[in-house]
Amino acid sequence: MKKTQGPENSALHMETASIMRRRSFVQLLAAAPLASAIRVEGATETPRYHINSHYQPAAVPGMPGPYPGQVVSVKAVKCLSEDGEKINAEVVREMMDRGMRTLTGDSKTIDSWRRFFGPSDVVGIKVNAGGRPWVVSSPQIVVEVVRNLMEVGVKSSQIYIYERFQNQLDEVNYTPYLPEGVQIVAAEGRNRGRDNGGYDPGVYVEADFFGEDDTRSNMIRLVSDRLTKIINIPNMKDHGATGVTGCLKNIAYGSFSNVARTHFKGVSHTHSFVGTLASVEPLRSRTVLQIMDGLRGVWHGGPFAPTLRYVFYPRQMMFGTDPVAIDRLLLDIIENERKAHGAISIWDRSPRYLKADDTRARDEDPNVNIIIREPGHVEYASKLGLGVHDLGKIRVKEIEL
Amino acid sequence: MKLLFVLSCLLVLNQPLLENFHRAETRQNAEERQIVPVVYWSQGIETASALKQAGIEQIAVAPDKTDEWRNAGFKVNPISPEALEKREKLLVPRLAGRANVASATRRPWIDSNGWRFIRNPSGKFYYDLSQAPRVATALAAAEAFTYSADAILKIDPVNLEDLGKMLAFIRNLPVKNYPVVADLGLIDDGSPVTGEVMNLLVRRNLLFKIVPSPSPQLAVTIKIGTREFPQSDAADPSAFAQKVRQQLGDEKRTLRLYGSEVVIGRLTGDGAGIRLHLLNYSGSGIEGLRVRLRKSGHQGTAYVFGLGKVELRDSLAEDGAVESTISQMGAYAVLDFSIARR
Repeated sequence: MKKTQGPENSALHMETASIMRRRSFVQLLAAAPLASAIRVEGATETPRYHINSHYQPAAVPGMPGPYPGQVVSVKAVKCLSEDGEKINAEVVREMMDRGMRTLTGDSKTIDSWRRFFGPSDVVGIKVNAGGRPWVVSSPQIVVEVVRNLMEVGVKSSQIYIYERFQNQLDEVNYTPYLPEGVQIVAAEGRNRGRDNGGYDPGVYVEADFFGEDDTRSNMIRLVSDRLTKIINIPNMKDHGATGVTGCLKNIAYGSFSNVARTHFKGVSHTHSFVGTLASVEPLRSRTVLQIMDGLRGVWHGGPFAPTLRYVFYPRQMMFGTDPVAIDRLLLDIIENERKAHGAISIWDRSPRYLKADDTRARDEDPNVNIIIREPGHVEYASKLGLGVHDLGKIRVKEIEL
Repeated sequence: MKLLFVLSCLLVLNQPLLENFHRAETRQNAEERQIVPVVYWSQGIETASALKQAGIEQIAVAPDKTDEWRNAGFKVNPISPEALEKREKLLVPRLAGRANVASATRRPWIDSNGWRFIRNPSGKFYYDLSQAPRVATALAAAEAFTYSADAILKIDPVNLEDLGKMLAFIRNLPVKNYPVVADLGLIDDGSPVTGEVMNLLVRRNLLFKIVPSPSPQLAVTIKIGTREFPQSDAADPSAFAQKVRQQLGDEKRTLRLYGSEVVIGRLTGDGAGIRLHLLNYSGSGIEGLRVRLRKSGHQGTAYVFGLGKVELRDSLAEDGAVESTISQMGAYAVLDFSIARR
């Protein structure tokens, strides 16, 4: 257990931030006095965070990785059937091959994957199963990732598909798609807040948001103890608390316990907590590849998609190592889709549209917020060094199949 | 004289023997002081075998039934139904849904009786558990034992087996009668407002004890109605408890629990050791409860209801605190820590 910053030494660190090691810098940014300097206007006040981790960062942390500010976008009309219900695995495979090659500049797909993974790696695939049944990490994408990892030489027994809740994984049911030996692991049975055995007691972020008694969010033990690399496969989704849920939210809230406590009575601390969690080692260093599944998306009511009512069909995938850059593009995708349906902006903070915790009203009306959304969490994460937020500095390579 | 001299020499030379003698005596006294709750039994003598099968040897019965139960081999506390009703009636311990008061997922409302026991340590209490679920019956027994309360449990006979298991678990615990460990003092004026503040302090695991006047050994002493703790603040006991928590500071709290919002701890201890009682009000099991004690040099043993003696996991000792995880627990667990001799 390693103790990190506290209020008593924050001032000293502020003066010497420029010569500090990167890890210290990231962790200090999460502390209240300095974080207040990078607050986005209108956002909720930043709590004081205490990060506890004995893991050291990699020489080049996975986020933002070797391609900061670079995003490859691949669109293919035929990746879905006309009605959007069926996924064409062949087209998905082509999208992934083109996306990976374009990202790395290699002529062979296998070489692109070899840049990130070797036979000795133990690889976690962070899927998103929360938007079941319509907007989840598509099994066709997951199985293609597994196939490429095995091509590189990673044994199936060294590949883990993980998510926080077993009941969500059960509903999606990846098993029939996967080669034998690939392991599917959840940290908890379901979202009840009483199964903590799957979390690492030594790696956590401590913060008091609303006077809760349990002030710790612990990293999934699989992530800290076993994995050497992680591939993040989020979806294109609206989110009632964060505005959107993409790379950052999926990897952060999907790899730690006790995170729902950041939303309470219409207020959310996701603005600073999403990036803070994503910055914790070893999660930050080990998450080396972002593959956004935008075959389908959800423009309202997210992160859930129990019906097709708010589902839309971008028929798109995005590739990169920079989660901030991809999520910056996602903000506009969700915003534009909402605009097309006449729904209020994800940036709207007006109490006029707020019906705190009234999920039924939210599900019936796209102009209802249940929490004041915090899309500024993407910019906040950029200030923690997780990637590039400035649209003018993000280079997008677009491919249409 | 010669005999006295020999005895004196023996006592000096056999100091360990003497210590053992005192320890045994202490243990005996402690056992006498240990208060285990008693079940009130209104069923007929034909149910004696059911009681024995449940491992229950002591019961409270109506005075006119005393002899027949004694003859059947039970230790009997005679108490009339009227006398039972005169005791202070307790809440059924459990999670309680209260709209706009507590959040189901974040800080659920708990009906607990700890504060009543703290306020009135010599009080006589009873639980009416005749309509209560199984888990609440066992939890009630653990709750009363945790606070050394003189409590009688009126139960639904179908829950006899569960109660018997809890009482057996309690009886098998090593006897430890340590004084209460507290971070806060509270000057009790006996008012309902102060009672509700005490309830919320217990609920939040803010360790306190009732004191007649402020003590320099306690970081904060609460007296409702003072400038520091005005009556108006106490009108919202939850906010009041939060204010006290902030004033104390989480880093100074002797006990922290992680991994649950529905477990209440009671800490006792002295220079010889520490005992932590953990009461789980959720009605279901918890995996991976993390305990942090701001004490050092301890080695912990856990006794978990339903599992027995179990090993604590992922233990760490650093910065004057010790942390350990209980892999699994149901309604009740006890952690004993011995003080390492230096």
